[in-house]
Amino acid sequence: MFELTELQHDALIEIFNIGVGHAASALSEIVSEEVGMSVPMISFRKRAEAASKLDNDEERRICGVRQNFQGSFNTEAILMFPEEKSLEIVRLMVGGSLSMQELTEMEQEAMSEIGNIILNACVGMLANMFKDDLRSSLPSYHIGSSDDLLSIDENHADDVVMMLNIDIVLEKHQIDGRVAFLMDMTALQDLRPHLDHYFAGLIS
Amino acid sequence: MNSPKTVLVVDDSRFSRLISRTFILSKYPDWIIEEAASGEEAIEKMGRISPRLVLMDVNMPGMGGIAASEKLRMQFPELCIFLQTANIQESTRNKATAMGVGFLEKPISEERIHKVLAELENG
Repeated sequence: MFELTELQHDALIEIFNIGVGHAASALSEIVSEEVGMSVPMISFRKRAEAASKLDNDEERRICGVRQNFQGSFNTEAILMFPEEKSLEIVRLMVGGSLSMQELTEMEQEAMSEIGNIILNACVGMLANMFKDDLRSSLPSYHIGSSDDLLSIDENHADDVVMMLNIDIVLEKHQIDGRVAFLMDMTALQDLRPHLDHYFAGLIS
Repeated sequence: MNSPKTVLVVDDSRFSRLISRTFILSKYPDWIIEEAASGEEAIEKMGRISPRLVLMDVNMPGMGGIAASEKLRMQFPELCIFLQTANIQESTRNKATAMGVGFLEKPISEERIHKVLAELENG
């Protein structure tokens, strides 16, 4: 099993905390209200297990946006909200500038775009901290259980991945969501020198 | 009174195009907004329209916004182009600067768009 040193673990948490902080700031601008964040939680799981644990409530339906980022390290990034809240988030974004019919028609595209903005805000910040250039896939939108969000290739169902979750909450409107990152062991190996470099930069 | 201007909004997200259109027209209701869903479509449309401003997304299917902006910059050296993107990476900002293209960070905001439009109106 791949292991991070204590310092690498701390650096990883710190870096993603900063990245999601930037994403929360982007979300706050979108919805015009304060966005709270939890402490990042890291766990190692089999990929198939990670899919079912993406959301705390395995039963509820969620809408999620997934993007893959590739560069000197690769990661899958996911933003998700309860399905019943997605229209409200879109409405908060556009205020009164669109009719309810327009909002409903564009809910999926709007959520994809919001996911694109939030996930890029976070991963873009990581890329800037690492002086890296990460290329992103187009956002893909999913509705269903958290299982549906991650496509599981049978050949990789038992591969261990690192899952890093940060919960976000819009208290005023009682909307809770989650930003999650998944990295396989190769990606984590690739990330390790960046973590060491980041830590060395802090203490130098 | 200044004459209406044409703005070309290039974004694969119909939603983002609609938001840009709404924010532009809220301040300049007589301006003409043209839309393209890809870099290729933007280049093709440039043969028929003469926009004063192009707002260009980066991450799109096909050639993408960077390549499309490079091409437009070569063909139309005086054209005002802004990348309007969620890709906030320094590497993307640097590419914009190198091309002589402006940079607008998403989320699209009325304030940011109006600032660009005011500069366009005054310049």
